[in-house]
Amino acid sequence: MDTSQLAEHAGTLFASVFVVATTTMRTMIPLRIFGILTNVVLIATSIPSHNYPTGLLHCVLLVLNSYRLHQMLQLVRDVKKSVNSDLSMHWLKPFMTERKCTAREVLFYKDEKAEDMLYIVSGRFKLVESGIELPVGAIVGELGMLSPSNVRTQTLECVEAGVILSVSYSKVEELYVQNPAFGFYFLRLASARLFQNIEKLEQRLALQTVSPPMSAAPNPA
Amino acid sequence: MLADFIGEDDDAPPFLPEGLPQATVPIASEGIHLLMHYQGSSYAQLYVDRVRRFVGRRGVDEEMLGQIARLLALRMSYEDPIRIAQLKLAELESTPGDPRLPSVDVRKFRLDELIGALPAAVAEPALDVLQWAGWTHMRVSMRFSTKSRWGVRRLKIEASLRRWRLFSVRYAKERAWVERWLHMISRSLEKQPSAASAIVQTATMIHGYGDGYRRGLSDWHAIIDGLAKPTFDGVLPLADLAAAIAEARAAVTPEPRQVALKRTIAEIRARALSADANAAAG
Repeated sequence: MDTSQLAEHAGTLFASVFVVATTTMRTMIPLRIFGILTNVVLIATSIPSHNYPTGLLHCVLLVLNSYRLHQMLQLVRDVKKSVNSDLSMHWLKPFMTERKCTAREVLFYKDEKAEDMLYIVSGRFKLVESGIELPVGAIVGELGMLSPSNVRTQTLECVEAGVILSVSYSKVEELYVQNPAFGFYFLRLASARLFQNIEKLEQRLALQTVSPPMSAAPNPA
Repeated sequence: MLADFIGEDDDAPPFLPEGLPQATVPIASEGIHLLMHYQGSSYAQLYVDRVRRFVGRRGVDEEMLGQIARLLALRMSYEDPIRIAQLKLAELESTPGDPRLPSVDVRKFRLDELIGALPAAVAEPALDVLQWAGWTHMRVSMRFSTKSRWGVRRLKIEASLRRWRLFSVRYAKERAWVERWLHMISRSLEKQPSAASAIVQTATMIHGYGDGYRRGLSDWHAIIDGLAKPTFDGVLPLADLAAAIAEARAAVTPEPRQVALKRTIAEIRARALSADANAAAG
Protein backbone atom coordinates (compact mmCIF):
# COMPACT_ATOMS: atom_id res chain seq x y z
CA MET A 1 0.00 0.00 0.00
CA ASP A 2 1.58 3.32 -1.10
CA THR A 3 1.25 6.70 0.59
CA SER A 4 -1.58 7.96 -1.66
CA GLN A 5 -3.68 4.87 -0.94
CA LEU A 6 -3.00 5.25 2.77
CA ALA A 7 -4.08 8.91 2.61
CA GLU A 8 -7.19 7.93 0.69
CA HIS A 9 -8.21 5.32 3.29
CA ALA A 10 -7.48 7.68 6.15
CA GLY A 11 -9.49 10.40 4.42
CA THR A 12 -12.44 8.05 3.86
CA LEU A 13 -12.37 7.00 7.51
CA PHE A 14 -12.16 10.61 8.62
CA ALA A 15 -15.03 11.60 6.33
CA SER A 16 -17.16 8.68 7.58
CA VAL A 17 -16.69 9.89 11.15
CA PHE A 18 -17.96 13.33 10.09
CA VAL A 19 -20.93 11.85 8.19
CA VAL A 20 -21.97 9.93 11.32
CA ALA A 21 -21.42 13.00 13.49
CA THR A 22 -23.52 15.12 11.11
CA THR A 23 -26.47 12.75 11.30
CA THR A 24 -26.39 12.79 15.11
CA MET A 25 -26.92 16.57 15.29
CA ARG A 26 -30.32 17.57 16.61
CA THR A 27 -30.43 21.22 15.65
CA MET A 28 -29.78 23.09 12.46
CA ILE A 29 -26.65 25.16 13.14
CA PRO A 30 -24.42 22.28 14.37
CA LEU A 31 -25.84 20.12 11.59
CA ARG A 32 -24.77 22.66 8.96
CA ILE A 33 -21.34 23.11 10.55
CA PHE A 34 -20.70 19.38 10.55
CA GLY A 35 -22.11 19.16 7.04
CA ILE A 36 -19.57 21.78 5.93
CA LEU A 37 -16.70 19.92 7.65
CA THR A 38 -17.79 16.68 5.96
CA ASN A 39 -17.87 18.44 2.59
CA VAL A 40 -14.37 19.86 3.11
CA VAL A 41 -12.95 16.46 4.10
CA LEU A 42 -14.59 14.70 1.18
CA ILE A 43 -13.37 17.36 -1.29
CA ALA A 44 -9.85 16.99 0.14
CA THR A 45 -9.90 13.18 -0.16
CA SER A 46 -11.42 13.23 -3.65
CA ILE A 47 -8.50 15.21 -5.09
CA PRO A 48 -5.63 12.70 -4.53
CA SER A 49 -7.90 9.79 -5.56
CA HIS A 50 -8.99 11.72 -8.72
CA ASN A 51 -12.61 11.13 -7.78
CA TYR A 52 -13.75 14.39 -9.40
CA PRO A 53 -17.57 13.75 -9.52
CA THR A 54 -17.58 13.29 -5.71
CA GLY A 55 -15.42 16.38 -5.33
CA LEU A 56 -17.77 18.40 -7.54
CA LEU A 57 -20.86 17.18 -5.67
CA HIS A 58 -19.37 18.21 -2.33
CA CYS A 59 -18.30 21.59 -3.71
CA VAL A 60 -21.97 22.24 -4.53
CA LEU A 61 -23.08 20.91 -1.12
CA LEU A 62 -20.44 23.06 0.58
CA VAL A 63 -21.86 26.20 -1.02
CA LEU A 64 -25.42 25.14 -0.11
CA ASN A 65 -24.55 24.29 3.49
CA SER A 66 -22.61 27.54 3.89
CA TYR A 67 -25.52 29.57 2.53
CA ARG A 68 -28.03 27.87 4.83
CA LEU A 69 -25.73 28.33 7.81
CA HIS A 70 -25.36 32.00 6.96
CA GLN A 71 -29.19 32.30 6.74
CA MET A 72 -29.66 30.70 10.16
CA LEU A 73 -26.98 32.82 11.83
CA GLN A 74 -28.37 35.93 10.16
CA LEU A 75 -31.86 35.03 11.44
CA VAL A 76 -30.63 34.73 15.03
CA ARG A 77 -28.68 38.03 14.69
CA ASP A 78 -31.75 39.81 13.26
CA VAL A 79 -34.14 38.57 15.95
CA LYS A 80 -31.62 39.46 18.67
CA LYS A 81 -31.20 42.92 17.17
CA SER A 82 -34.96 43.35 16.95
CA VAL A 83 -35.40 42.44 20.64
CA ASN A 84 -32.90 45.15 21.58
CA SER A 85 -34.30 47.85 19.27
CA ASP A 86 -37.68 48.45 17.59
CA LEU A 87 -39.33 45.01 18.20
CA SER A 88 -40.03 44.75 14.46
CA MET A 89 -40.52 41.44 12.73
CA HIS A 90 -38.92 42.37 9.40
CA TRP A 91 -36.47 39.50 9.80
CA LEU A 92 -39.26 37.08 8.91
CA LYS A 93 -39.55 38.50 5.38
CA PRO A 94 -37.13 36.02 3.72
CA PHE A 95 -39.33 33.17 4.95
CA MET A 96 -42.60 34.69 3.75
CA THR A 97 -44.55 34.24 0.55
CA GLU A 98 -46.11 37.09 -1.37
CA ARG A 99 -49.82 37.37 -2.01
CA LYS A 100 -51.83 40.00 -3.88
CA CYS A 101 -55.10 41.18 -2.33
CA THR A 102 -58.01 42.89 -4.03
CA ALA A 103 -60.16 45.60 -2.49
CA ARG A 104 -62.97 44.26 -0.22
CA GLU A 105 -61.24 40.90 0.08
CA VAL A 106 -61.42 39.53 3.61
CA LEU A 107 -58.15 37.95 4.66
CA PHE A 108 -59.60 36.36 7.76
CA TYR A 109 -62.68 36.57 9.94
CA LYS A 110 -63.06 37.09 13.67
CA ASP A 111 -63.04 33.78 15.62
CA GLU A 112 -61.43 31.92 12.71
CA LYS A 113 -58.60 29.60 13.64
CA ALA A 114 -55.33 31.49 13.11
CA GLU A 115 -52.71 29.69 11.06
CA ASP A 116 -50.41 32.34 9.69
CA MET A 117 -49.00 35.76 10.32
CA LEU A 118 -49.11 38.52 7.75
CA TYR A 119 -46.87 41.44 6.87
CA ILE A 120 -48.39 44.37 5.00
CA VAL A 121 -46.23 45.48 2.08
CA SER A 122 -48.60 47.83 0.26
CA GLY A 123 -52.27 48.77 0.00
CA ARG A 124 -54.72 49.58 2.79
CA PHE A 125 -55.99 47.03 5.30
CA LYS A 126 -58.48 47.52 8.11
CA LEU A 127 -59.32 45.59 11.25
CA VAL A 128 -63.06 45.92 10.83
CA GLU A 129 -64.40 45.42 14.36
CA SER A 130 -62.14 48.08 15.84
CA GLY A 131 -62.02 50.19 12.67
CA ILE A 132 -58.23 50.43 12.96
CA GLU A 133 -56.37 50.85 9.69
CA LEU A 134 -53.04 49.06 9.65
CA PRO A 135 -50.00 50.90 8.27
CA VAL A 136 -47.64 49.47 5.68
CA GLY A 137 -45.02 47.40 7.51
CA ALA A 138 -47.45 46.19 10.18
CA ILE A 139 -47.43 42.56 11.25
CA VAL A 140 -50.75 40.85 11.97
CA GLY A 141 -51.22 37.64 13.94
CA GLU A 142 -47.79 37.31 15.54
CA LEU A 143 -49.24 36.70 18.99
CA GLY A 144 -51.94 34.31 17.75
CA MET A 145 -49.27 31.65 17.36
CA LEU A 146 -48.55 31.69 21.08
CA SER A 147 -52.10 32.19 22.33
CA PRO A 148 -53.81 29.06 23.72
CA SER A 149 -57.10 29.72 21.91
CA ASN A 150 -55.32 30.30 18.58
CA VAL A 151 -58.20 32.28 17.08
CA ARG A 152 -58.39 35.59 15.24
CA THR A 153 -59.68 38.33 17.47
CA GLN A 154 -60.78 40.60 14.62
CA THR A 155 -61.65 40.54 10.93
CA LEU A 156 -59.06 41.87 8.48
CA GLU A 157 -60.32 43.40 5.26
CA CYS A 158 -58.41 44.81 2.32
CA VAL A 159 -59.68 48.35 1.71
CA GLU A 160 -57.40 49.18 -1.21
CA ALA A 161 -55.63 46.55 -3.34
CA GLY A 162 -52.18 45.69 -2.11
CA VAL A 163 -49.61 43.06 -1.38
CA ILE A 164 -49.03 41.10 1.79
CA LEU A 165 -46.40 38.60 2.82
CA SER A 166 -47.48 35.61 4.84
CA VAL A 167 -45.75 32.91 6.82
CA SER A 168 -47.51 29.96 8.38
CA TYR A 169 -47.20 29.27 12.08
CA SER A 170 -45.88 25.82 11.19
CA LYS A 171 -42.97 27.47 9.32
CA VAL A 172 -42.13 29.61 12.36
CA GLU A 173 -42.46 26.50 14.55
CA GLU A 174 -40.06 24.75 12.22
CA LEU A 175 -37.50 27.56 12.62
CA TYR A 176 -38.10 27.48 16.37
CA VAL A 177 -37.48 23.72 16.60
CA GLN A 178 -34.48 23.78 14.29
CA ASN A 179 -32.82 26.67 16.00
CA PRO A 180 -33.04 27.04 19.80
CA ALA A 181 -31.26 30.42 19.80
CA PHE A 182 -33.89 31.76 17.42
CA GLY A 183 -36.60 30.24 19.65
CA PHE A 184 -35.26 31.99 22.72
CA TYR A 185 -35.06 35.41 21.09
CA PHE A 186 -38.41 34.91 19.36
CA LEU A 187 -40.06 34.32 22.73
CA ARG A 188 -38.39 37.42 24.16
CA LEU A 189 -39.54 39.43 21.17
CA ALA A 190 -43.14 38.14 21.38
CA SER A 191 -43.24 38.89 25.11
CA ALA A 192 -41.83 42.37 24.55
CA ARG A 193 -44.48 43.06 21.89
CA LEU A 194 -47.18 41.80 24.25
CA PHE A 195 -45.98 44.12 27.00
CA GLN A 196 -45.85 46.95 24.49
CA ASN A 197 -49.50 46.25 23.56
CA ILE A 198 -50.51 46.23 27.23
CA GLU A 199 -48.76 49.55 27.71
CA LYS A 200 -50.60 51.05 24.72
CA LEU A 201 -53.92 49.75 26.02
CA GLU A 202 -53.23 51.24 29.44
CA GLN A 203 -52.44 54.58 27.81
CA ARG A 204 -55.64 54.40 25.75
CA LEU A 205 -57.65 53.47 28.82
CA ALA A 206 -56.17 56.39 30.70
CA LEU A 207 -57.14 58.71 27.81
CA GLN A 208 -60.66 57.25 27.71
CA THR A 209 -61.19 57.87 31.39
CA VAL A 210 -60.29 61.52 30.76
CA SER A 211 -62.50 61.97 27.64
CA PRO A 212 -64.98 59.26 26.51
CA PRO A 213 -64.58 58.68 22.73
CA MET A 214 -67.33 58.85 20.11
CA SER A 215 -68.76 55.40 19.39
CA ALA A 216 -67.37 53.91 16.21
CA ALA A 217 -69.58 52.11 13.69
CA PRO A 218 -67.52 49.22 12.35
CA ASN A 219 -68.75 47.39 9.29
CA PRO A 220 -67.31 43.89 9.36
CA ALA A 221 -67.29 42.08 6.03
CA MET B 1 -45.06 18.82 12.08
CA LEU B 2 -45.39 16.93 8.83
CA ALA B 3 -48.51 15.06 9.95
CA ASP B 4 -50.74 16.93 7.51
CA PHE B 5 -48.45 16.07 4.64
CA ILE B 6 -47.57 12.46 5.34
CA GLY B 7 -50.93 11.59 6.86
CA GLU B 8 -52.70 11.59 10.19
CA ASP B 9 -50.73 10.35 13.15
CA ASP B 10 -53.65 10.34 15.55
CA ASP B 11 -56.91 8.59 14.82
CA ALA B 12 -58.63 9.48 18.10
CA PRO B 13 -61.79 11.52 17.50
CA PRO B 14 -61.90 14.94 19.17
CA PHE B 15 -64.05 15.56 22.22
CA LEU B 16 -67.40 17.27 21.84
CA PRO B 17 -67.46 20.91 22.89
CA GLU B 18 -68.24 21.53 26.54
CA GLY B 19 -71.78 22.66 27.28
CA LEU B 20 -73.20 21.18 24.08
CA PRO B 21 -76.97 20.64 24.58
CA GLN B 22 -78.04 17.00 24.76
CA ALA B 23 -80.18 17.31 21.63
CA THR B 24 -77.19 18.44 19.58
CA VAL B 25 -74.83 15.68 20.76
CA PRO B 26 -75.90 13.06 18.16
CA ILE B 27 -75.71 15.62 15.33
CA ALA B 28 -72.26 16.82 16.36
CA SER B 29 -71.05 13.22 16.89
CA GLU B 30 -72.26 12.32 13.44
CA GLY B 31 -70.46 15.36 12.04
CA ILE B 32 -67.24 14.33 13.77
CA HIS B 33 -67.42 10.80 12.37
CA LEU B 34 -68.23 12.08 8.92
CA LEU B 35 -65.21 14.38 8.95
CA MET B 36 -62.94 11.74 10.48
CA HIS B 37 -63.72 9.59 7.47
CA TYR B 38 -63.59 12.57 5.11
CA GLN B 39 -60.23 13.94 6.20
CA GLY B 40 -58.99 12.95 9.66
CA SER B 41 -58.97 13.88 13.32
CA SER B 42 -57.41 17.34 12.97
CA TYR B 43 -60.10 18.30 10.48
CA ALA B 44 -62.78 16.95 12.83
CA GLN B 45 -61.17 19.07 15.56
CA LEU B 46 -61.56 22.13 13.34
CA TYR B 47 -65.27 21.24 13.05
CA VAL B 48 -65.57 21.00 16.85
CA ASP B 49 -63.83 24.38 17.25
CA ARG B 50 -66.22 25.95 14.77
CA VAL B 51 -69.30 24.49 16.49
CA ARG B 52 -67.94 25.63 19.89
CA ARG B 53 -68.20 29.28 18.80
CA PHE B 54 -71.99 29.03 18.99
CA VAL B 55 -72.37 26.87 22.11
CA GLY B 56 -74.09 28.87 24.85
CA ARG B 57 -74.25 31.95 22.68
CA ARG B 58 -77.17 34.32 23.18
CA GLY B 59 -79.85 33.81 20.54
CA VAL B 60 -78.70 30.30 19.61
CA ASP B 61 -81.20 27.71 20.81
CA GLU B 62 -80.81 23.93 20.61
CA GLU B 63 -82.51 23.72 17.25
CA MET B 64 -80.37 26.40 15.64
CA LEU B 65 -77.20 24.90 17.07
CA GLY B 66 -78.23 21.52 15.68
CA GLN B 67 -78.79 23.08 12.26
CA ILE B 68 -75.42 24.83 12.37
CA ALA B 69 -73.69 21.58 13.38
CA ARG B 70 -75.45 19.57 10.67
CA LEU B 71 -74.94 22.06 7.83
CA LEU B 72 -71.39 22.80 8.87
CA ALA B 73 -70.48 19.11 8.67
CA LEU B 74 -72.10 18.91 5.23
CA ARG B 75 -70.24 21.96 3.92
CA MET B 76 -66.95 20.83 5.40
CA SER B 77 -67.35 17.50 3.60
CA TYR B 78 -67.69 19.16 0.21
CA GLU B 79 -67.84 16.97 -2.86
CA ASP B 80 -64.62 16.91 -4.81
CA PRO B 81 -63.36 13.99 -6.94
CA ILE B 82 -61.54 12.67 -3.84
CA ARG B 83 -64.79 12.58 -1.87
CA ILE B 84 -66.67 10.87 -4.67
CA ALA B 85 -63.95 8.19 -4.80
CA GLN B 86 -64.23 7.78 -1.01
CA LEU B 87 -68.00 7.36 -1.23
CA LYS B 88 -67.70 4.88 -4.07
CA LEU B 89 -65.23 2.82 -2.06
CA ALA B 90 -67.56 2.98 0.94
CA GLU B 91 -70.24 1.32 -1.21
CA LEU B 92 -67.95 -1.71 -1.48
CA GLU B 93 -67.52 -1.83 2.27
CA SER B 94 -71.27 -2.03 2.90
CA THR B 95 -72.56 -4.55 5.42
CA PRO B 96 -72.41 -8.25 4.43
CA GLY B 97 -76.20 -8.55 4.65
CA ASP B 98 -76.57 -5.70 2.18
CA PRO B 99 -74.21 -6.48 -0.67
CA ARG B 100 -74.29 -3.85 -3.39
CA LEU B 101 -73.51 -4.71 -6.96
CA PRO B 102 -70.35 -3.24 -8.43
CA SER B 103 -71.21 -0.25 -10.55
CA VAL B 104 -69.76 2.56 -12.63
CA ASP B 105 -70.57 6.24 -12.04
CA VAL B 106 -69.62 8.80 -14.63
CA ARG B 107 -69.42 12.35 -13.27
CA LYS B 108 -68.81 15.52 -15.22
CA PHE B 109 -66.44 18.11 -13.81
CA ARG B 110 -64.97 21.28 -15.12
CA LEU B 111 -61.25 21.01 -15.75
CA ASP B 112 -60.44 23.78 -13.23
CA GLU B 113 -62.52 21.91 -10.64
CA LEU B 114 -60.47 18.77 -11.13
CA ILE B 115 -57.13 20.59 -11.04
CA GLY B 116 -58.31 22.62 -8.04
CA ALA B 117 -58.47 19.43 -5.96
CA LEU B 118 -54.67 19.09 -6.26
CA PRO B 119 -52.19 20.82 -3.93
CA ALA B 120 -51.90 24.55 -4.69
CA ALA B 121 -48.19 24.24 -5.54
CA VAL B 122 -49.11 21.98 -8.45
CA ALA B 123 -52.56 23.33 -9.25
CA GLU B 124 -51.79 27.04 -9.47
CA PRO B 125 -49.25 26.83 -12.31
CA ALA B 126 -51.46 24.27 -14.07
CA LEU B 127 -54.48 26.58 -13.75
CA ASP B 128 -52.42 29.48 -15.14
CA VAL B 129 -51.55 27.38 -18.18
CA LEU B 130 -55.19 26.28 -18.60
CA GLN B 131 -56.35 29.86 -18.37
CA TRP B 132 -53.80 30.93 -20.94
CA ALA B 133 -55.03 28.17 -23.25
CA GLY B 134 -58.69 29.00 -22.49
CA TRP B 135 -59.44 25.47 -21.30
CA THR B 136 -60.49 26.11 -17.70
CA HIS B 137 -64.21 25.61 -18.45
CA MET B 138 -63.67 22.46 -20.44
CA ARG B 139 -65.92 19.58 -19.33
CA VAL B 140 -64.20 16.37 -18.28
CA SER B 141 -65.96 13.08 -17.61
CA MET B 142 -64.55 10.95 -14.86
CA ARG B 143 -65.37 7.30 -14.23
CA PHE B 144 -65.72 5.98 -10.70
CA SER B 145 -65.92 2.24 -11.08
CA THR B 146 -66.02 -0.67 -8.66
CA LYS B 147 -66.49 -3.20 -11.45
CA SER B 148 -62.87 -4.14 -11.97
CA ARG B 149 -59.81 -4.55 -9.79
CA TRP B 150 -58.13 -1.74 -11.69
CA GLY B 151 -61.19 0.48 -11.10
CA VAL B 152 -61.06 -0.17 -7.35
CA ARG B 153 -57.30 0.40 -7.31
CA ARG B 154 -57.82 3.70 -9.10
CA LEU B 155 -60.48 4.72 -6.58
CA LYS B 156 -58.07 3.92 -3.74
CA ILE B 157 -55.37 6.05 -5.34
CA GLU B 158 -57.82 8.93 -5.81
CA ALA B 159 -59.13 8.58 -2.24
CA SER B 160 -55.56 8.57 -0.90
CA LEU B 161 -55.12 12.10 -2.27
CA ARG B 162 -57.14 13.25 0.76
CA ARG B 163 -53.94 13.78 2.73
CA TRP B 164 -53.11 16.66 0.39
CA ARG B 165 -56.64 18.00 0.27
CA LEU B 166 -55.98 20.71 2.84
CA PHE B 167 -53.25 22.14 0.61
CA SER B 168 -55.58 22.39 -2.38
CA VAL B 169 -56.90 25.50 -4.11
CA ARG B 170 -60.45 24.23 -3.58
CA TYR B 171 -59.96 23.83 0.17
CA ALA B 172 -58.78 27.45 0.49
CA LYS B 173 -61.99 28.58 -1.21
CA GLU B 174 -64.21 26.28 0.86
CA ARG B 175 -62.56 27.44 4.04
CA ALA B 176 -63.15 31.09 3.13
CA TRP B 177 -66.79 30.30 2.33
CA VAL B 178 -67.43 28.42 5.59
CA GLU B 179 -65.81 31.22 7.60
CA ARG B 180 -67.91 33.82 5.83
CA TRP B 181 -71.09 31.86 6.46
CA LEU B 182 -70.26 31.50 10.19
CA HIS B 183 -69.30 35.17 10.32
CA MET B 184 -72.65 36.15 8.79
CA ILE B 185 -74.48 34.01 11.39
CA SER B 186 -72.51 35.79 14.13
CA ARG B 187 -73.30 39.21 12.72
CA SER B 188 -76.93 38.31 12.35
CA LEU B 189 -77.05 37.25 16.01
CA GLU B 190 -75.71 40.67 16.93
CA LYS B 191 -77.61 42.86 14.48
CA GLN B 192 -80.82 41.02 13.61
CA PRO B 193 -81.27 37.81 15.65
CA SER B 194 -84.61 37.02 14.01
CA ALA B 195 -82.80 36.49 10.68
CA ALA B 196 -80.07 34.21 12.09
CA SER B 197 -81.99 31.05 11.31
CA ALA B 198 -82.52 32.14 7.70
CA ILE B 199 -78.79 32.86 7.37
CA VAL B 200 -78.00 29.40 8.79
CA GLN B 201 -80.33 27.81 6.23
CA THR B 202 -78.64 29.57 3.30
CA ALA B 203 -75.96 26.87 3.51
CA THR B 204 -78.45 24.48 1.87
CA MET B 205 -78.13 26.55 -1.31
CA ILE B 206 -74.69 25.08 -1.95
CA HIS B 207 -74.31 21.39 -2.61
CA GLY B 208 -72.90 18.89 -5.05
CA TYR B 209 -70.23 19.65 -7.60
CA GLY B 210 -69.87 21.00 -11.14
CA ASP B 211 -72.31 23.57 -12.51
CA GLY B 212 -74.91 23.09 -9.76
CA TYR B 213 -72.34 23.81 -7.08
CA ARG B 214 -71.03 26.92 -8.81
CA ARG B 215 -74.54 28.28 -9.39
CA GLY B 216 -75.45 27.73 -5.74
CA LEU B 217 -72.29 29.50 -4.63
CA SER B 218 -72.89 32.41 -6.94
CA ASP B 219 -76.54 32.76 -5.79
CA TRP B 220 -75.46 32.62 -2.15
CA HIS B 221 -72.93 35.42 -2.63
CA ALA B 222 -75.52 37.50 -4.50
CA ILE B 223 -77.97 37.23 -1.57
CA ILE B 224 -75.36 37.86 1.12
CA ASP B 225 -73.70 40.76 -0.72
CA GLY B 226 -77.00 42.25 -1.84
CA LEU B 227 -79.09 41.87 1.30
CA ALA B 228 -77.43 40.46 4.43
CA LYS B 229 -74.14 42.35 4.55
CA PRO B 230 -75.60 45.79 3.72
CA THR B 231 -78.26 45.22 6.40
CA PHE B 232 -75.65 44.33 9.02
CA ASP B 233 -73.51 47.27 7.92
CA GLY B 234 -76.50 49.56 8.46
CA VAL B 235 -76.52 50.64 4.80
CA LEU B 236 -79.78 48.87 3.91
CA PRO B 237 -82.73 49.41 6.28
CA LEU B 238 -84.30 45.94 5.97
CA ALA B 239 -86.56 45.37 8.96
CA ASP B 240 -87.28 41.75 8.08
CA LEU B 241 -84.12 40.27 6.61
CA ALA B 242 -85.39 36.70 7.02
CA ALA B 243 -88.41 37.40 4.78
CA ALA B 244 -86.19 39.19 2.25
CA ILE B 245 -83.83 36.19 2.10
CA ALA B 246 -86.80 33.83 1.65
CA GLU B 247 -88.12 36.03 -1.18
CA ALA B 248 -84.72 36.13 -2.87
CA ARG B 249 -84.27 32.38 -2.50
CA ALA B 250 -87.64 31.81 -4.12
CA ALA B 251 -86.38 33.73 -7.15
CA VAL B 252 -83.36 31.48 -7.62
CA THR B 253 -83.49 29.71 -10.97
CA PRO B 254 -80.99 27.38 -12.63
CA GLU B 255 -80.06 29.97 -15.24
CA PRO B 256 -76.44 31.06 -14.87
CA ARG B 257 -76.92 34.80 -15.44
CA GLN B 258 -79.08 35.11 -12.27
CA VAL B 259 -81.43 37.59 -13.98
CA ALA B 260 -84.48 36.79 -11.82
CA LEU B 261 -82.48 36.69 -8.61
CA LYS B 262 -80.69 39.97 -9.28
CA ARG B 263 -83.97 41.65 -10.21
CA THR B 264 -85.63 40.41 -7.01
CA ILE B 265 -82.71 41.60 -4.88
CA ALA B 266 -82.83 45.00 -6.59
CA GLU B 267 -86.59 45.22 -5.92
CA ILE B 268 -86.18 44.29 -2.25
CA ARG B 269 -83.44 46.89 -1.86
CA ALA B 270 -85.49 49.57 -3.61
CA ARG B 271 -88.53 48.78 -1.43
CA ALA B 272 -86.50 48.94 1.76
CA LEU B 273 -84.80 52.21 0.80
CA SER B 274 -88.06 53.89 -0.27
CA ALA B 275 -89.82 52.71 2.90
CA ASP B 276 -86.99 54.20 4.92
CA ALA B 277 -87.12 57.45 2.95
CA ASN B 278 -90.89 57.68 3.48
CA ALA B 279 -90.49 57.01 7.20
CA ALA B 280 -87.84 59.72 7.41
CA ALA B 281 -90.00 62.19 5.45
CA GLY B 282 -93.25 61.59 7.28
